[in-house]
Amino acid sequence: MAGILFPSGTVGSRKGLKEYRSGEGYAALAKTLKDLTPQQVVQKISESGLRGRGGAGFPTGKKWAITAECADQTRYLILNGGEDEPGSKKDRLLMEFLPHLVLEGVILASYAVGAAKAYLYINAQYQNAIQSMTDALAEAKADHYWGERIFGTDFSLEISVIPAPSNYVAGEDSAALEVIENKKPLPRQKPPFPATAGLFGKPTVVNNVETLANVPVIILKGSAWYKTFGTAESPGTMIFSLNEEVNRPGIYELPFGTPLRFLIEECGGGVKGAKEIKAVQPGGPSSAFLTPDKLDIPLDHNSLRAAGSSIGCGAVHLVAKGSCIVEELVRIADFFAAESCGQCPACRMETNMLAAILKKVQRGEGGPPLLDQFNKVISFNKGKGFCALINMPGPPIESALRLFHSDFDSHLDHGHCPGN
Amino acid sequence: MKQVCLVCVNVDCKSRGSEEIKKELEKRVAEKGLSDNWEVRPYICFGACQDGPNIVLHPEKSWYAGVKMEDLDDITDHLAGGPDVKRLDKIDTSLKELIYQLLDTGVY
Repeated sequence: MAGILFPSGTVGSRKGLKEYRSGEGYAALAKTLKDLTPQQVVQKISESGLRGRGGAGFPTGKKWAITAECADQTRYLILNGGEDEPGSKKDRLLMEFLPHLVLEGVILASYAVGAAKAYLYINAQYQNAIQSMTDALAEAKADHYWGERIFGTDFSLEISVIPAPSNYVAGEDSAALEVIENKKPLPRQKPPFPATAGLFGKPTVVNNVETLANVPVIILKGSAWYKTFGTAESPGTMIFSLNEEVNRPGIYELPFGTPLRFLIEECGGGVKGAKEIKAVQPGGPSSAFLTPDKLDIPLDHNSLRAAGSSIGCGAVHLVAKGSCIVEELVRIADFFAAESCGQCPACRMETNMLAAILKKVQRGEGGPPLLDQFNKVISFNKGKGFCALINMPGPPIESALRLFHSDFDSHLDHGHCPGN
Repeated sequence: MKQVCLVCVNVDCKSRGSEEIKKELEKRVAEKGLSDNWEVRPYICFGACQDGPNIVLHPEKSWYAGVKMEDLDDITDHLAGGPDVKRLDKIDTSLKELIYQLLDTGVY
């Protein structure tokens, strides 16, 4: 299926500067610097309805406007390629294969918000992505797409690559600021938000890789065209990641609103071994489980929220029939306990406690009162951390208790998974 | 029934000396012949890191926060049947209730 970022529908091969320019590469930048004020760029992005693709889905134009309207003239732009979401690989592949598209988005965003310095913050384990972006920077600099007085205008932009630590919270926007300031990757207490007081205390826009990759095409083809893809509340496309559970793992760019079933069956070729689906986590490990009767749900922010789940960054996880949800949850809880940075006591207690309760359930130690403790721990700690991680283990656990209670009963009654 | 004396040894409490406190407490429990009634165990986080080192007695439901070496005489006396060490009882009731419920369901 043809997409916006991947018009041929597949990743293909890396597009260097020559290949990128043979399409419409850097035409959006040329048009912008010739015809558009920074305010007009912000306006166009706002009109397009573009939402952040890192997980929160915040309106990009709104984020830009907050920074652009700050009185402080020193502002920064950060490309957040600190992706470390289990199962997500879209940002890595965008940087590897379409580095100039990403870079053009960075330059346009910097112009829009008045940033004279941009940082490409990339997961240090993504060596190919770092190399690809570094090469693209060199190619683009030689042709004056960034640097001093771009296209002879007053707009100058410096760009540096910063390797991001490979842990989960390092991809959080304020943790990225800390790393760039040469500190440990720990999220900051908010407010203030980075948009008003970010890097070195200055207004800073932190945007996900996929978000910025959408910017050039919106500038070039306009909001009305962009909105022909997707839904009213979630315009455009999103890149979904499918993993080893399906016959054809990979990334698939689909218009928002495409049914989940299409992604799994038509794109992914169904679950391996022709197994039936027991549960789906549509938005990474922090999203609530859905049951197979929800397979026709449209993949967009509002539809998934209405179903009690979330779209996250589009890393779709499938649980096949015959698998046990308690075992799934033990893995998820261990992940969040390991990835909690530990600076907020409530998060430290919650993530460890949930993992401990789940392991007792898994071993069949304790009775039904054990299950009542999940909600108590989750609600006691809700919102008590500096970042969103504290709210992440809740949705999968609470949805699993509601939808797959018999898996818990099997462990508590017999000490093992159902069907074993 | 044997009771447990849970000493948090997670990062924060540990950095405030909880491992040394746990070792010393284990030594005193053995020396005073309290081992039949009390077992000292490590624990990972009661969620009161800023008030650590934290010690919780279960199922008795006593919580001692900000424990220092010099408090161990009084704590050991209490384990031997002496009075509760009220000056170390500083934790918010709602957090205590949550943790006590968890311990009652066997999460330790």
